Amino acid sequence: MSEYFSDDMIVCRCEEITVAEIKQAIKEGAKDVVGVKRRVRAGMGLCQGRTCEKLVQQLIVRELSVTPKEAGTSSARPPVRPVTFGELAGGAID
Amino acid sequence: MNKVYDAVVIGAGAIGTSAAYHLCEKGLKTALLEKGDIAGGSSSHCDAVALICDKLPGIDTKMGQASIDYYMELAKRFDYDFEFDPKGCLYVCETEPEFEAASKYCELQNNDGYALRMVNNEELCQMEPHIAKDLTGALYTPPSGSIAVSPYKVCFAFVEEAKKMGLEVYTYCDIKKINLNGKTNGVESVETNYGTIRTKRIVNCAGAWAPFIGELTGLKIPIEPRKGTNLVSEQTERLCHNKILEYGYMMSKFDSIHFKRKVSPLAEELNVAFNLEYTKANNLLVGGNRLFRSYDIRSEIETMKAIAERALRFYPELADIKCIRTYSGVRPFVIDHLPIVSDVDSIPGYYIAAGHEGDGICFSPITGRFMSQIIAGEETDFDISKLDFARFAS
Repeated sequence: MSEYFSDDMIVCRCEEITVAEIKQAIKEGAKDVVGVKRRVRAGMGLCQGRTCEKLVQQLIVRELSVTPKEAGTSSARPPVRPVTFGELAGGAID
Repeated sequence: MNKVYDAVVIGAGAIGTSAAYHLCEKGLKTALLEKGDIAGGSSSHCDAVALICDKLPGIDTKMGQASIDYYMELAKRFDYDFEFDPKGCLYVCETEPEFEAASKYCELQNNDGYALRMVNNEELCQMEPHIAKDLTGALYTPPSGSIAVSPYKVCFAFVEEAKKMGLEVYTYCDIKKINLNGKTNGVESVETNYGTIRTKRIVNCAGAWAPFIGELTGLKIPIEPRKGTNLVSEQTERLCHNKILEYGYMMSKFDSIHFKRKVSPLAEELNVAFNLEYTKANNLLVGGNRLFRSYDIRSEIETMKAIAERALRFYPELADIKCIRTYSGVRPFVIDHLPIVSDVDSIPGYYIAAGHEGDGICFSPITGRFMSQIIAGEETDFDISKLDFARFAS
């Protein structure tokens, strides 16, 4: 993948987090997708990692020589897609 | 491989990382052991403020203030940015009885020298233009007693700063056994997946999981996991400028078991109380509640509904703002609402700093300092005998 991943490439579009920042998070001790997320916010934006999660996972796999399973995924938390607080409170969601 | 340390800290949340930092500062060769990642438990599943106005008058508030003052100092001293943000706090009162109770609380705190004050409806609406217009008023705490930090960055900051003083960190560490001396019963070593780590001192900072570490040496540590939930909004305008909480929660938590708020049966049943804050990234955190659910931190749809419903009562404009995520975490609950920061009489070299419930982030700096003072055999900054583990001996 290195031929496609330059350090200044944005991986998390919502939070504008680059390859270099993710590598730095891994250097600081992040061993999985959640660890990267907490250190540099990749996956914390509006799409909640839908776009970048696989890319972050692949970077961890490459940098730490682990399996995708070991690199993990973000914890699944509702809502599945953004809903307004009005819709939530009004009971539109079941 | 033979590993020998002056002290071993177990748990890398807000308390353990601070304890480790302060032990390094005292010149002790220190290891920090953590079953997952740094800040992987309660310290990344909470909100982000340190307040004095959610504390009982007395040592609770005194520790809060000391810790907030200390945070201000650390924000200047540390290279690692933990998003220190001095912002005030408003405990909003929905009714006259709440306002009266808040006024009494305010007076008690004023008598102890804390600069809290009551604001009326008009002033509240000026301070917070988006808040519901029909509230009676609020208890205001200025930034000298109310700040925000990124809770997990606080943990990373303590670790990174402590590494400069030689801290060694073992994440994803399973603690299998703690060995005690056959004669003195003192701490000898810790057996882990990294091998045996020799030390004469261990500090149990495992928060809601501290009882499991306690069990390894037959200690019964009376901490229970208490679940709290927050909803995260999309990035949006800062609807509030201060940390906002409803005062009714304080009354139901501490003052009077007879007090009943005018809330829906769902909010009542799920123990929901409104609170709101903005984050540095401009998300809003909307909370919250407290429930006993063992260690289950899955999000509950009924809780989400009840929190959203209660939030709209105070901030109607939230109706059109989107919720992108919900998270829950466990708080280490102790029956008397005070943490345990103490040595253990029966096991020389065993120390506990745990049980801060919702005050772990707030009390983090001061707890670490106290623990290092206790271990170094120094006087603590002020008397903390109320936090002694021995209070549970009977």
